[in-house]
Amino acid sequence: MYFLFLILPSLLAALIAGLIRPYRAFVGFIGAFLSLISLGASLVIAAQVVSGQIPTWGFHMEWLNLEDFLRADGLSAILVVCVTVVASLALFLSPGLGRQVQNPHWGELAYKPNQLQRFHVFTNLFITSMLLAVTANNVGVMWIAIEATTIFSAIIIPLKLNKASIEASWKYILICSVGISLAFVGTVLGYFDFVSVAGRVESALNWTTLLKAAPNLHPEVMRLAFVFLLVGFGTKAGIAPLHTWKPDAYGESPAPLTALMSSALFAVAMYALLRWKAVTDVTLGLGFSNKLLIVLGLLSLFIAAFSIVLARDYKRMFAYSSIEHTGLMCLGFALGPLGTFAALLHLINHTVGKSLMFFLVDNIEHKYRSPLITNTRGLLKTMPWTGGFFAAGLMFLIGLPPGGFFISEFALFRAGFALNHPWLMGAALVLLAVVFVSFIYQINTMLYGDPDPENINTERPVEQFSWRLALLLVNIVVLVTLGLSLPAPLVALINQGVAILAR
Amino acid sequence: MNNQLFFQLSTLGASVILLFGITLLWRKSMRSYAETFKWQSVALSLMFIVIGYLGKDPELYAVAAALFILKAIIIPNYLRRMEKRFGDDRELKPYVNVATSLVLAGLFVLLAYSVTRPLVMVSDLPTRAGMPLAMGLIFVGLFLIITRKKAMAQIISFLVMENGIALLAALGTYGTPLIVELGVFLDALMGFLVMQVFVYHIHDTFETIDVDQMNELKH
Repeated sequence: MYFLFLILPSLLAALIAGLIRPYRAFVGFIGAFLSLISLGASLVIAAQVVSGQIPTWGFHMEWLNLEDFLRADGLSAILVVCVTVVASLALFLSPGLGRQVQNPHWGELAYKPNQLQRFHVFTNLFITSMLLAVTANNVGVMWIAIEATTIFSAIIIPLKLNKASIEASWKYILICSVGISLAFVGTVLGYFDFVSVAGRVESALNWTTLLKAAPNLHPEVMRLAFVFLLVGFGTKAGIAPLHTWKPDAYGESPAPLTALMSSALFAVAMYALLRWKAVTDVTLGLGFSNKLLIVLGLLSLFIAAFSIVLARDYKRMFAYSSIEHTGLMCLGFALGPLGTFAALLHLINHTVGKSLMFFLVDNIEHKYRSPLITNTRGLLKTMPWTGGFFAAGLMFLIGLPPGGFFISEFALFRAGFALNHPWLMGAALVLLAVVFVSFIYQINTMLYGDPDPENINTERPVEQFSWRLALLLVNIVVLVTLGLSLPAPLVALINQGVAILAR
Repeated sequence: MNNQLFFQLSTLGASVILLFGITLLWRKSMRSYAETFKWQSVALSLMFIVIGYLGKDPELYAVAAALFILKAIIIPNYLRRMEKRFGDDRELKPYVNVATSLVLAGLFVLLAYSVTRPLVMVSDLPTRAGMPLAMGLIFVGLFLIITRKKAMAQIISFLVMENGIALLAALGTYGTPLIVELGVFLDALMGFLVMQVFVYHIHDTFETIDVDQMNELKH
């Protein structure tokens, strides 16, 4: 029942935004407030899961059996809350909610009404499909929803048509569509395996049914299927070497969309991979998927670390940081129950932390004209609040206490050493140190120094505290809370997720 | 007897559909790309009907009809309109030349046979012998996407690869469950519509649909 309150509000918001033209600010506010209903529903679902239930929703028609169509266990509940929180923040901070309307002199950042309308329609559809992806029980429907996220997000990347944004969106839609269709090959192979064991059943692609049948599936077939699924959903999650679209797409899309893509969408893609990993591990034993994840995770860390050293554009720098955290999570999910716990906690931290950074990037983009790090000097002088938040977020992101990242990375490395992987963990630590040093260097350039008057929007006075900044306190408070303590309901949720993934 | 016929028809059909994909390796004009895709889709729809009839699964008739309407009528219509705008842009110099591509295509089919060996051994459907050919088409489609330089040729290569996946599902399992099948068609249509809009954008801003010319984004 609560599933309807979870998924329908964003669909309704997309409908409203599509019907009312030209775009008006109240449309954006309606969407933002509707997203609070989703957020509430997601918290109710999470509470139900914590108390030991597994809520489901579905119906049965004469020719269509959709019983248990939507289902939320521990893993889904974590993802649902992550997605709805970031979605609400992104909708409240999205373009067209006041800021652009008040100041017409924004030059490059002012969007036209039709662009704003497009943004609100497709962002809401994007959110709807992410929520469907993490609650669908049928892995085929999950695939369909994830492919839909590619399409909806690709439409809004070139909100401003220029060479760079078109190139980025073309790369994004082509690479991700191809990748995701390989994941469909994997899904078909999984279904094929099920059919050749148990015959054609309408509910065969339900994850619960697959998991029950998993011990009897053919290892050779599932091995092939998992490779396709890893390549496919790995492309979408941006695991190296399939990450190439990420810096381009993150660099060119409107910042609130990037916040959604880097945190929520990434988590959704990872979630899809994990669902299949759970099935594959039952069929094949633990070794196979874990080895692949360790290799790709380490490669992601390696590529990301050295790309951050060379980064000159701060949005692209955060894209590489995403790849770094992707690598860490891949390692975690391959390191048994302890590592899985750490990786799930890290996933939550990353969702909160990375969305914070991109919302702040949105503020910076309103002040500075250039995306280059060397042209973005003196943040603390021109935007004391954003600059301060930015510094704090970045310190959390590279793993300094009291941020949640510190705890999850610590737990992750402990899990690795406990499983006797000293060389692997040592290499990962060295790469993290590289990231650490280069981030400190880059942020020094951005925070201090004198801003070049050519590059900043001088029409705006020095920044005052506003409700936009107050909203971001949510992220900071969550990060600090996760760094200082682990709330019991959260531990219960993560433990349920671990029970699903690592047995 | 019936099974024997089914076996031969499905293998023959899969070979024809794969061959349509391989011919793209040496075609140059966008019109021939679009035509090849259209006829491949027609063959694929027929394949679904044959499997539906001989495999006694009437659901596949509906899928075949949807596939025909989408991939043999709607999408080719859009492709024709694109071809009128960008028809002068030909796929003259792909990243890999024709002779090498053909050798590679042969290797892809061999690879597909070795990869799908466990599938063929596990299955007891009369259509199983076609699965390596479907996998071969997926590999050839991937290769086409990577080596083509024109955005429109890349889209068509992607559609050809999608046909390969549909063929694999049809041969291996007589198609996926109906709700998944319908969702996949919806995604395919939306994805295609967005991609074709992007091609117009690419043409308007870069004055060519050659993706080789897109090199704005570095570090």
